[in-house]
Amino acid sequence: MRLLWANFVAIYRKELQGYFATSLNYIIAAVYWFMAGVFYIILFNAVQANVAAQDLQGQAGLGAPPVDVPAVILENYLGVLGFLSLFILPLLSMNLFAQERQQGTLELLATSPITTTMVTVGKLAGVLTFFITLLVPVMFYESLTLLQSEPPFSFWLILLGHGALVLLAAAILSLGLFISATTESTLLAAVGTFALILLLWILQAVADRLSGVPAAIFRHLSLLQNYTSLIQGSVSTTNIILFLSYGILGVFLTVQWVDGLRFQRS
Amino acid sequence: MTYGIIEPISRLSGQNNNFMITVEHLTKRYGSTLAVNDLNFSVDAGEILGFLGPNGAGKTTTMRMLTGYMPPSEGTAKIAGFDVLEDSLAVRQRIGYLPETPPLYREMTVQGYLHFVASIKGVSAGDRPRRVDWAIERCGLTERRHQLIRKLSKGFRQRVGIAQAIVHDPPVIILDEPTVGLDPKQIIEVRNLIKSLAGDHTIILSTHILPEVSMTCNRVVIIQKGRVVATDTIDQLLNRSDNRTQYELKLSGNLQALQAALAQFPDLAGVQTQSDGDNHLVTVTTNGDTDIGPELTALVVQAGLRLYEMNRRRATLEDVFLQLTTSEDTAEDEVFASETAADS
Ligand SMILES: Nc1ncnc2c1ncn2[C@@H]1O[C@H](COP(=O)(O)OP(=O)(O)OP(=O)(O)O)[C@@H](O)[C@H]1O
Ligand SMILES: [Mg+2]
Repeated sequence: MRLLWANFVAIYRKELQGYFATSLNYIIAAVYWFMAGVFYIILFNAVQANVAAQDLQGQAGLGAPPVDVPAVILENYLGVLGFLSLFILPLLSMNLFAQERQQGTLELLATSPITTTMVTVGKLAGVLTFFITLLVPVMFYESLTLLQSEPPFSFWLILLGHGALVLLAAAILSLGLFISATTESTLLAAVGTFALILLLWILQAVADRLSGVPAAIFRHLSLLQNYTSLIQGSVSTTNIILFLSYGILGVFLTVQWVDGLRFQRS
Repeated sequence: MTYGIIEPISRLSGQNNNFMITVEHLTKRYGSTLAVNDLNFSVDAGEILGFLGPNGAGKTTTMRMLTGYMPPSEGTAKIAGFDVLEDSLAVRQRIGYLPETPPLYREMTVQGYLHFVASIKGVSAGDRPRRVDWAIERCGLTERRHQLIRKLSKGFRQRVGIAQAIVHDPPVIILDEPTVGLDPKQIIEVRNLIKSLAGDHTIILSTHILPEVSMTCNRVVIIQKGRVVATDTIDQLLNRSDNRTQYELKLSGNLQALQAALAQFPDLAGVQTQSDGDNHLVTVTTNGDTDIGPELTALVVQAGLRLYEMNRRRATLEDVFLQLTTSEDTAEDEVFASETAADS
């Protein structure tokens, strides 16, 4: 057990170091922050304007219910962040195994006394940590603005909402990890991952055209559907379990594939 | 594969004979190509074994099976008594491996990389700095230790590759073409390093450079098209050749007297002459390894010739190698033969 932990730490540290040593990742981070910032400003102003209009109507005696402005902003914004992440996450996961294969370091890992599972889990933890650091500044400016409201908005709600985003990211990155293990080309890995998660994202749209059991299954598997219900504040274990299942499935498939890679060549 | 129980890395192990590495009926197929065909050999503890063969002979494939990177199609390989398939973890704890392409992370520094390798090889955190320093020093990397690997030249990358194979002080070291890309001075240093590791370590190295084998290895396995064509010590291999000795003489003067005298000489396989005006190159080949040098010089003097140069050429490992690997003369092998001849 201690040895497994030591293996995990070794891989995790190497991955993190790698993320911070790669210039591409700084570009990705910059683009993400820029887009996220722009969308935040747009959204913030739009919601404010909307609310102001409703307030006017309220004063005119038309009787619209009061709106929890911070909650509306956060919910919509998390939706935007989730969508943005669809484009960022494949770029973060594309290198994970493809590069090891391409530069021959898989041969080092595979002939070392560590298990493929620990390599995979260590990599996933590394990339997820990187993604979480991407979210820190975002949460910072959200807190700055949203916590100003009256009555005060809870910081825990912000944290919880982003927890949903991290769960979504874990699921996507884990699948991306698997795709990355299936090819030596990082470009293919990125494109393949993007295609797969786009498909899982829009399963809901497919479900809307169907009815009965297939519709229910598709809706259940859809990333968007589960993510939306989480950020709307209805924290349900089925949503969480679904994301975790995607995560575990990705790890499992990766381990099978990487071990199989050596064995299947016979 | 069992991952649960992990015993400490130990030189002592489940082996019940003196062999550190045993290979039996090892076979590997890639689809329909037979890359390795029924290999059998074993390596004593503390020995350096040279693994010699032309391109595509199956050296890399064999090493990949020995390290557990690929499973054999048939047959078994055991390291320190542990089967590479069944006790994969125990095997992986006991080997250091330099693959054909050094497995390097370009964005790491030399030192950071060796620390990482030491950690995944199971070196305890306390021992790592000492082991890394040792490997850096032994591989002549002291001045480059803080450099990014991506900025190193090919030769230095190769050295980092060797350093990662020995950083955890494994009892068995497997090196796939360790001196590729090194300059002559480094080649000598790496050979000395390898020799100094013998005794405590059991080493297999592959190469197609012949001097490498004769200078570093105790024993050679020569393979050709996936099959062992010879396993022997260097001396034995040399004895195996047909023992001819050649003398090359550079002379000037009238050759007729000498040629007449040589015709009378017993036990000669042949005499060849190349002439350029008054200058001659005479090649005399004997049948056994009899030493006819003194007699030859006497004849030259008697014939009134002037002698500028005289060389004796014994059968070399190269001759043996060429003999063994070109038996089924294909065009491909001939290309290779002329290449090795030029190599040394
Ligand atoms: N991954 C692979 N898939 C299919 N065939 C392969 C593969 N790797 C090697 N081979 C084939 O197996 C044979 C042995 O190759 P191997 O790489 O072991 O040779 P080698 O002795 O290491 O040669 P070299 O001196 O060029 O490194 C060759 O015919 C090669 O084409
Ligand atoms: Mg090779």
